[in-house]
Amino acid sequence: MRLRTKLTLFITLSKLGIVTLFVLALPFLVERIAFQYNDYYLQEQKKKVLNVIGKNGLEYYLAGERDYGSYTMLKEEYISLEPTDRRNAGDTIATLRRVVENDTLTYRVLTHLFTYEGATYMLEVGKTAASIGQYNRPLQKMAIYLLAGLLFTTIILDLIYTRILLRPLGDIIRNQLLARKFPFKDDAPKVKTTTADFRYLDDSLSGLMDKVREAFDKEREFTANASHELLTPISILQHKIENLMMDESVGDQTQQKLGAMMNTVHRLRKIVQSLLLISRIENDQFPREDQFPLSELLKEVMEELGHRLEEKQLRFHLRVNGAVAVDMNRDLIFQLFHNLVNNAIRYNRPGGSIWIRDSLADDGSYSITVEDSGIGIPEDSLEAIFGRFRKIGAGEGVGLGLSIVSSIAKHHEISLEVKSEEGKGAAFVVLFPRAGIAKA
Amino acid sequence: MTKVLIVEDEVLIAREMEQFLRQSRYHCDIAYTAAQALLKLEDNSYDFLLLDLGLPDKDGLALLYEAKKDMPDLSCIILSARGQVEDRIRGLDLGADDYLPKPFSLPELHARMQAVIRRKYGLREKLVSLGEFQMDLGSGQVLHEGTAVPLSKKETDVLSYLLLHKNRPITRMQLSEHIWGSYAGEDYDSNYIDVHIKNIRKKLAAKASTEWLQTIRNIGYKICV
Repeated sequence: MRLRTKLTLFITLSKLGIVTLFVLALPFLVERIAFQYNDYYLQEQKKKVLNVIGKNGLEYYLAGERDYGSYTMLKEEYISLEPTDRRNAGDTIATLRRVVENDTLTYRVLTHLFTYEGATYMLEVGKTAASIGQYNRPLQKMAIYLLAGLLFTTIILDLIYTRILLRPLGDIIRNQLLARKFPFKDDAPKVKTTTADFRYLDDSLSGLMDKVREAFDKEREFTANASHELLTPISILQHKIENLMMDESVGDQTQQKLGAMMNTVHRLRKIVQSLLLISRIENDQFPREDQFPLSELLKEVMEELGHRLEEKQLRFHLRVNGAVAVDMNRDLIFQLFHNLVNNAIRYNRPGGSIWIRDSLADDGSYSITVEDSGIGIPEDSLEAIFGRFRKIGAGEGVGLGLSIVSSIAKHHEISLEVKSEEGKGAAFVVLFPRAGIAKA
Repeated sequence: MTKVLIVEDEVLIAREMEQFLRQSRYHCDIAYTAAQALLKLEDNSYDFLLLDLGLPDKDGLALLYEAKKDMPDLSCIILSARGQVEDRIRGLDLGADDYLPKPFSLPELHARMQAVIRRKYGLREKLVSLGEFQMDLGSGQVLHEGTAVPLSKKETDVLSYLLLHKNRPITRMQLSEHIWGSYAGEDYDSNYIDVHIKNIRKKLAAKASTEWLQTIRNIGYKICV
């Protein structure tokens, strides 16, 4: 999941969760507050009454009667005074039923005992329970609307901000990782950001890629230089042996040895030349401007290798559309198929087959498959076969043929695919980039 | 005798080239620098210039330009380890007759020189006898009692190459490199050249003996005449 999606989900869900919790708790909270306020209100009313009694005396209320009672218009509040036998036990507040003028109502009642001129009186101040919670519902409604509005606004703000905040990260991924191809020849544009972490990430990635490029350049340069420098002594050796072999005074036995030396020098030369070729391809020393039909090129490859097919008595099937032409370096593409077919011959069984066929997909991509009925490639070697100095089993070759194929493919943005089952042959699929196809 | 100027800054390579070419009856001089080469070109008349491009004092192609200005008939083969396509094209534009990438084999150099000479001056002797056969060096045809024995292009190439270096052993490697050039692949121990020799022998043996085409065990082949 992408970081932005995760953040969005988290922000939305966590806010929703908190708000839901609050909304669920709201009725309980509001009721509690209402009751507490009511109790406080009753205390205040009690103080007022006691104040009046202190100022004007109890008679102000009793007016000669034994007790006193008064209530508001709709019986929402009442107050009563009467003498009592109970001993003083402080104030109590309780929800009680009281009968007021034939109506039995539930009141929240504060009971206060006090003595006045030797007698104990009980003061009751009450308020109907119904009137206590009268604002609860509108209050709750209001709170929920307000919360929903706030929630919506903060979520929108959060989303906009995370979007802006995370934009440099997307830029970094796009510029540094998706848009760039090995060996990172072009510099990625600097990402605009005020976030230190992203700045650091961008700079570090640029630095890393520079290092990769430097290492790659160094290796390339080394290969090119070393191969080049090695060729001179190899030339000298080869020429010396050639001259010795031409010498008629050299005996048969010495000549045999010279022949063996010559083969060794030749092998050395081939390795060095192959490495040089790879480094030249990687150094872009081959122009790409030839336009040529592939079927003709493949026929030429087969002609070049005809003697080897004959030697191994292989059957060969070429089925390639004659109209398809590519826009690439002809020598390199020749070398690519030469090496692939050469491998198909080398690892084939006597009397086996080689198939070369093409396919033009609906989306315009074009591929050529070179398949053989040979010994195949073990599954654990499939990844490694394009590496340098890799070969399957013992025998001929120095193990650079497929490495050259892979370099050429990279140079022309061709993708390679290998399918193989040990003992059942191998198929190499050469998938041409659409940009490289001149005619289809 | 063909007079050759070898321009090559690697002393050992120049000497080996000289030795080989002298055995093949060329007269050779060596110049290790462009300056020496220009002096020698002024004092002597050469038929052939074997030019290494990587000279210490001057670009080989510049030297070629100056040499060709005074001696337009001078034949030239460029020897270069640089292997760049532009070098080859520019060299041929400047009038070089051929381009041989380093490292090359000495018999191959000889064959290329012969090809240039043949192209420019024709042949001194056209027919060479091979036992009871005759080979037409111009067309590459092998004749038996006046009628041509049909050989493929590659088979003719193999025979001509062996014939050019007659009485000397030629390795399979040298042969395959001559015929398949740089695409010879990396099969250093392959003997697919044998298939061609077998076919040549089969076709010729139907007419007469091919004793002159000898196999040298573990090495290659030789034409003895």
